[in-house]
Amino acid sequence: MSAAVSIEYLRKVYGGFEALAGISLNVPRGVVFGLLGPNGAGKSTLVKSLLTILRPTACRGELLGKPIGHRATLAKVGYLPEHARFPEYLTGRQVVEFSAGLANVPGAVAKRRAGECLERVGMSAWANKRVGAYSKGMKQRVGLAQALVNDPELLFLDEPTDGVDPEGRIEIRKLIESMRAEGKTVFVNSHLLAEVEQVADEVAILAKGKIVARGSMAELTRQGRRYELRTEGPVPLALREGFARNGWEVAGDRLVLEAESAAMAQPAIDTLREAKVVIREVKELRRSLEELFLEAVQSNGNGGEA
Amino acid sequence: MRVFWTLLVDSLRLLRARALFWITLVISALAAVIYLSIGFTPTGISMMFGMAEMESPVLRAGNPAAELFYLGLFSKFIVGLWLSWVAIGLAIISCAPIFPDFMAEGSIGIPLSKPVSRLKLFLYKYIGSLMFVVLQVGLFCAIVFFAVRWRVGTWNPSVFWAVPLVTLVFSYLYSVVVLVAVKTRSVLPAILAGILVWFASWVGQKGEEVLYQLTYMGASQEDVSEGGNDSLREWHQRSVWLMACLPKTGETVNLIDRHVVVGGKTGFSNSGFLQVLMGREASADESVDRAVARHSPFYVVGTSLIFEAVMLGLAAWTFCRRDF
Repeated sequence: MSAAVSIEYLRKVYGGFEALAGISLNVPRGVVFGLLGPNGAGKSTLVKSLLTILRPTACRGELLGKPIGHRATLAKVGYLPEHARFPEYLTGRQVVEFSAGLANVPGAVAKRRAGECLERVGMSAWANKRVGAYSKGMKQRVGLAQALVNDPELLFLDEPTDGVDPEGRIEIRKLIESMRAEGKTVFVNSHLLAEVEQVADEVAILAKGKIVARGSMAELTRQGRRYELRTEGPVPLALREGFARNGWEVAGDRLVLEAESAAMAQPAIDTLREAKVVIREVKELRRSLEELFLEAVQSNGNGGEA
Repeated sequence: MRVFWTLLVDSLRLLRARALFWITLVISALAAVIYLSIGFTPTGISMMFGMAEMESPVLRAGNPAAELFYLGLFSKFIVGLWLSWVAIGLAIISCAPIFPDFMAEGSIGIPLSKPVSRLKLFLYKYIGSLMFVVLQVGLFCAIVFFAVRWRVGTWNPSVFWAVPLVTLVFSYLYSVVVLVAVKTRSVLPAILAGILVWFASWVGQKGEEVLYQLTYMGASQEDVSEGGNDSLREWHQRSVWLMACLPKTGETVNLIDRHVVVGGKTGFSNSGFLQVLMGREASADESVDRAVARHSPFYVVGTSLIFEAVMLGLAAWTFCRRDF
């Protein structure tokens, strides 16, 4: 089966400013994909290019197995834009039904799906109230409902938790997870690393219009994996020199080793055990997405351009 | 078709939410009721549902001039003044924000990410906006339709010609508003551009009309045959060429005179109506009526639609090629 998103080459230039510098990207089906980057990195430009909201300078690739820009394919796609705005004269239900109508969903199905989607995002009670009376978080939930109404195979969420309270964020995360469980692909644009880290299977980091890191969360965080041992009391001085020779960092009761596998940490455990040192804790340390992100962005000299 | 209905329903909801729509509708209904209040008695004309009466040997029940007068009021005052000036002006002000709002950041992304072409989105949105005028004039004509039956005694569906004609005039001007709105995404420049074109069109039509009268109606037959007013004819020709490039708002509305049925005959005599207004029996002056109908409907509507097509084409091209 083809990938959900397969970009061979995508470039977008606004006047003299290169927003996307010829990127390529592959998003398999059925995963939650996180596109990270600082503000102005080109995340929204990338998504808008895929959805024909803007016209890329050069674009080769496929969306759900069809060339990017193939209009009929967009019937299988859902989209929640950043800072989504809905006409204030519409009710939440009408917003969702409007989206369904544009996606060519038959009337009766649209009505049923609208109710289901509003229920799913916790907006049933407010469905018949005008959008003008909604809080920002409620508008965002309605935005999610309209993105789901055509039962999309691929869902693009641009900063989905923007303006949403902590409880709402958890619900959105659960919603994304349930979409994945249904076999759908969710493409999340965000600058909120912790959120993406909790939900994404794969991530790419975009900085200055270039993809500077990509891979599964496991792959990316495996790089620079470390093991930490903690002892009852400080590590005996007699042992410290030996540990240092073998690449361990020792400080007080803490030993840290950068290693690809847990096997490499075993000799140190043996040494401590032989010296009758009580081991209080053994821990695998992975790099956080935040560390990865900062490294990737800083190594590309990102300045957070507009 | 589903997309079309979706956008049409959305346009109706949008209109329903605009205070100006309701204000215009109420004023239109009031004007129609005032029209309805005018009636005829065996001795003259009554107003305000019989509260005031005026004796007239010409304008009285049963006299054919009464029907001409009643339909003349509709054609010249209600359609010619209220609907084609005030209602259209309010419609322009009310509908000008539709495209800038539609194209606003955060709003346009959802429609554009759907499986519908940008051109269709643009055209459907444009057609939906015309509903403002269709509904206003439609309601008005419905009241007038019953008023004519009540006051004159005939069912006269020809009054409904006002709906397409007034909508056409609005569509000429609205195409300019939309073009500027799509280019600038601002409401004020769009309204100003629409009003400017409207004014230019009015000045152009009046200028051409005056030149026509001076050239062909003020001169004797001898002058015309001896070429005594060649210079005027040349100026008139130039004005016709100039006006060919502009929408003919007034002339389009005046086309209703050629379609409205009076006394069982299609066509309304302006000169006859003038006579009736002055309290005389209707007697048509053919030269006046010929002058009013000097341009064919094909020319009037055709050239105006070409203007509208150019404006809309440019607007659609901008809309389709723009990054949002």
